[in-house]
Amino acid sequence: MKDFFKTSSFRVLLIAVVVLLGLIIYTATAGGSFLASLLGFVSSPMQSIATDVTGNVTEFLDLDGYSKDELKELVSVLQEEKAQLEDQLVDYETLKQENDQLKTQLGLEEEEPENQLRAASVIGRDPNDVFYGFSIDQGTLSGVTQGAPVITDKGLVGVVTQAYATTSKVACLLSEDVKVAAWSPKRQESGVITSDIATAGTGLLRLSYLSGSTQVQEGDIITTSGEGGSYPQGLKIGTVQSVEKSENDISQYAVIRPFEDLTTVKEVFVITDFPGKGEGEAQLDQDAQTGGEDPE
Amino acid sequence: MRDFHRIIRYLAYTLELLVLFMLQEIPGLLPQIFGVRPVLLLPAVLTIALFEEDLPAMAFGIVGGLFCDFGLSGVLGFHALFLAVLCYLVSHISRTFFQINLLTALVTGFWTIALVVLAQWFFLYYFSYSYPGYAFTHHYLPKYCYTMLFVPLLYLLNRALSQALQPPER
Repeated sequence: MKDFFKTSSFRVLLIAVVVLLGLIIYTATAGGSFLASLLGFVSSPMQSIATDVTGNVTEFLDLDGYSKDELKELVSVLQEEKAQLEDQLVDYETLKQENDQLKTQLGLEEEEPENQLRAASVIGRDPNDVFYGFSIDQGTLSGVTQGAPVITDKGLVGVVTQAYATTSKVACLLSEDVKVAAWSPKRQESGVITSDIATAGTGLLRLSYLSGSTQVQEGDIITTSGEGGSYPQGLKIGTVQSVEKSENDISQYAVIRPFEDLTTVKEVFVITDFPGKGEGEAQLDQDAQTGGEDPE
Repeated sequence: MRDFHRIIRYLAYTLELLVLFMLQEIPGLLPQIFGVRPVLLLPAVLTIALFEEDLPAMAFGIVGGLFCDFGLSGVLGFHALFLAVLCYLVSHISRTFFQINLLTALVTGFWTIALVVLAQWFFLYYFSYSYPGYAFTHHYLPKYCYTMLFVPLLYLLNRALSQALQPPER
């Protein structure tokens, strides 16, 4: 056994351990690294192709799985939905026209700040990720940065946690690391979207820190509030499924069913820039600078 | 000639790890059981270690571990460190103490993959998130069992690669 510790291969193992410990410390403190970018550069093109092929095959098989009766039923449901939406569209056009006329009369100029979007595909979901995080095929070369919100046409799905050269890692809303300032526009009440492994398993979210006398009810739509400057205001998140009492204090929380199925999302948009981005951080910096000083 | 066969074998292993990494990452390819999917790289590097000498085994442990780290978006080096040490030990033990067959591969996979999954739970989950017990029973344990199912398959694959790419005996 003594000889084992004196062998040259054991010394190489020790050197490898020291180097890897150094790598752990380096990446833990510096975030992304050249090595991670290199791994992403090698694997992302192949992952993109493989994911596309798998997606097409799965889609084909799924469609093929419908029976004739099921397809007929689906068509009738969709036609009914279309008729309802057409009715709503007529109302919408009337209201829009009325709104435009009123704005003209009052001389209001509309500011239309727009989010800058970058389309991306989900190319990987790691089996070791407990909270359903995923990789996308856009990185810093496409303007994606750490902290950028990730959405679909149905609403917010997550945030970029690591941005490499050609790929990025996204933590979805089901992650315990992600906290989003949100509110109910109808009730004008704010809270924070949170999650844990127990709720993540069911695909649901929590809107925490609602007051004990909250008016938020089942069916209310929850959107981002834009507070803190991390997310743009008005991004859809989900609908309230139920309102429960908090286990720890007198506050209540709402159980939210996200509009998007966060565990299977395939195509996303990264918001690379938006009005009000980083305002909360700027405010915090300002407070930190003035906080320690006596104004007089 | 001997070196040529060794290089080809190492290239085959590297390609295998890359393909397995992609397979385990592709969304929707491997079906979920109890909400989890298997980590194919773990049985792959540990069965490669059964057939290779300690230093190459360690190197493939590092490569597989770096892929795991990259996929998880966590700190680069965590899986690489664990798998480097484990693969080195597996290679050393398999060459010194027992014959290599399906049974010993299963036994090796049983304790080594358990160690890796326990380390993941302890270092990456326990100190950072809530409900560690729930996470262990609902995520880490099913993932361990699901991953174990691939040990025989990857053992046979790596045995075939190892035997086919050995230098011919004179």
